[in-house]
Amino acid sequence: MMRALNIAASAKLPRLAILLATVAGLGLAGCDDHAGDPKRQIGANPVLPEIQQYLMPPMRVAKVVGWGEDETPAAPQGLQVHALATGLEHPRSLYVLPNGDVLVVESNGPKAPVNRPKDIITGWVQSFAGAKAKDANRITLLRDNGDGSPKLRTVFLDHLNSPFGVALVGHDLYVANTDAIVRYPYEDGQTSIAAAGTKLTDLPGGPIDHHWTKALLASPDGSKLYVGVGSNSNITENGIGAEYERAAIWEVDRASGAHRIYASGIRNPTGLQWEPETGKLWAIANERDEIGPDLVPDYLTSVRDGGFYGWPYSYYGQHLDPRVEPQRPDLVATAIAPDYALSSHVAPLGVAMYTGTDLPANYRSGAFVAEHGSWNRTPLNGYKVVFVPFSGGQPSGPAQDVVTGFLDADNHARGRPVGLAVDRTGGLLIADDVGNTVWRVSSVRPGSVSSIR
Amino acid sequence: MQQHTTITEARFVGNTDLRSTAKSGGRPIHRMLAAFSAAYFIGALVTDVVYWQTLNVLWERFSIWLITAGLILAGLAVVAYAIDLFAGRQIDRPAWPRAVGYALAILLSLINAFVHSRDAYTAVVPMGLMLSGLVTVVLLLTALIGTVLANRSRVGG
Repeated sequence: MMRALNIAASAKLPRLAILLATVAGLGLAGCDDHAGDPKRQIGANPVLPEIQQYLMPPMRVAKVVGWGEDETPAAPQGLQVHALATGLEHPRSLYVLPNGDVLVVESNGPKAPVNRPKDIITGWVQSFAGAKAKDANRITLLRDNGDGSPKLRTVFLDHLNSPFGVALVGHDLYVANTDAIVRYPYEDGQTSIAAAGTKLTDLPGGPIDHHWTKALLASPDGSKLYVGVGSNSNITENGIGAEYERAAIWEVDRASGAHRIYASGIRNPTGLQWEPETGKLWAIANERDEIGPDLVPDYLTSVRDGGFYGWPYSYYGQHLDPRVEPQRPDLVATAIAPDYALSSHVAPLGVAMYTGTDLPANYRSGAFVAEHGSWNRTPLNGYKVVFVPFSGGQPSGPAQDVVTGFLDADNHARGRPVGLAVDRTGGLLIADDVGNTVWRVSSVRPGSVSSIR
Repeated sequence: MQQHTTITEARFVGNTDLRSTAKSGGRPIHRMLAAFSAAYFIGALVTDVVYWQTLNVLWERFSIWLITAGLILAGLAVVAYAIDLFAGRQIDRPAWPRAVGYALAILLSLINAFVHSRDAYTAVVPMGLMLSGLVTVVLLLTALIGTVLANRSRVGG
C-alpha cells in the first residue's frame, strides 16, 4: 500500500512509467504473503497472527489436471485406495444406506450473482479450480457386492436443487436441497425413487446463497433433523440482513417441520456427526477469508445447544473482526472458541467419525476429515484427508495425513476430497468432486479390489 | 473538467479518419470522457460518506461500481488522448498540468478500487473514504489550476 502511494506521489515520472510501476507494486503487495507452518494451527490452541488487510487478496488455485490412468490417491502402509466409481459429475457428498448401498450426491452451487466487480474476477479465477463444473443435481446409487457378482449403478433421485445432505429415518429419506428439506418414501433395496417428494421445511436459499451446502443429520431417536446452514457472505459484505438464520445449525422437528436455531455464529457448518462415545453433536466449519494466509483456521468442534461461535463479529472466542460494523459486544462476550483447529483455509467439507473395524486399530477412535484445499493461500494447504484421533470424546492428538496425492508434484490438482462416509464393511469412502470419482480406502487384504466403472 | 462539456454537445463524427474520431462537437473527445470519469470518482465519495453514515452495503456497492466505471472511462480517455497525440494534433501547453493531475487521480482511483474490493466495513472506512476524498481534492485542484493557466495563457498570449 505505502509502496504504491510513494510511487504515485513522485508524479514527475512519465505517466506510463508510473502506471507500470504501480501495477508492479500492487502485484508485489498481493504476493507479500508469509504463510506459516500449518502445524502450528492444528489442535486446541492455534497460533493466531495479526490481521492483514490486502490491496489485492492472494488467489492461488490449483490448476486441475485430473487423474491419469491407474493413478489413485496415496495412503499409508497397510491401507489401499481404489476407485469405487468414476465418471461422476461433481460428487459432493455421500450417504450409506442400511443395506450397504452408497448414495453419491452429485451437486454444485447455484449460479452466484454479480453484486460487485470483484465477483466477476473471483468467479473467473475459481473456474480454473473446477468449482464451476456442470451440476448434475442428482443422487446416484452404487451397489457393490464385493465378491465379483454384478455391480449396480443407477440414478436414484433426479432433478434436485443443489442437494447436499441426506438422512434416512425409518422409511423416510430426507434430502437437503439448498432451499428446502424434501422427504421421499424409501423401501429397503430400492434403487431409484420416482415418487414426488414432500417438502418438510424451507431452508435459506437464493438469491445470493453464498454457502449453499446444507448438511443433514438425524437425531439418534429420529425425532429431529440437524441442518448446517452456511453464511450468505465471506464476512457480511452482503449486509447483516442477508444472514438471517444463517451461519447456524438448525434443529428441525421431523413431525412438524418447525425449526429453532440450535447453535449460531458458525460461518459454514458441514460434516455434522454424532461423536460415538459421548453422543454429542460435532461439526466442521470453514472460517473467514481475506485477513491473511494464517487466518482464520478452519475447525472441528463439538456444538453446544444454544452456543454462539463468533461469526461474523469475532473468531476463536473474542478476536474481533474489524470488517464487521456495527459490532455486537454482547454476543462476542458469549462467543465459544471451537475445540480443534485444522489450520487455515484447508476447507474441511466432510467428516466421518470412524466406528468401523476394517481399518487398522489406530483409526478406530477418531474423525476422518476431508480437506477440500485452499484457494487463497501460498503454499497450498489441505487437499487431503486427515485423521484426528479422539479419546474420551475429545480430540487427543495432532491430525495425521491419511489420504494424500490429490496434488501432483507441480501442485496441480488431480482431485479434491469433499464428502466422506464409512461403508457397511468399514471402508472409508471419499467423494472427489474434481476427479469425479468416489474412492474407497480399506485395509490391505489379498484380492480385495473393487470398482464400478 | 471545467470545459462545461454536456451530453448535448457530444456528437460523434463519422469514421472518416483518425483525427475526426477523436473529436466530438469540436472538442477533443478525451475531455468529455475525462469529465465523465471525474464525475464518477467524485460520486464515489458521496456514496462512501452515505455508507459510512448508514452502514448499508448498497451504498458501498454503488461506490465500487462508480469507481470501476470511472476507471473504464478514464482508460478510454487515455486512449483518445493517445490518438490525438499520435495523430499530431496540437496539445496546448496548459493541458499538461491537467493531464498530470488527472493521471494522479486515475492512479489513486485504481488503488481505491482495490481497497473497495475488500469485504464489508474496511472496504470503505477509513482508507476507501480517505482515497475517495483525496481523488476528489486532486480533481478539483486540477480543474482549478487548469482554469487559471488557461485564462493566463489567453490573456498573456
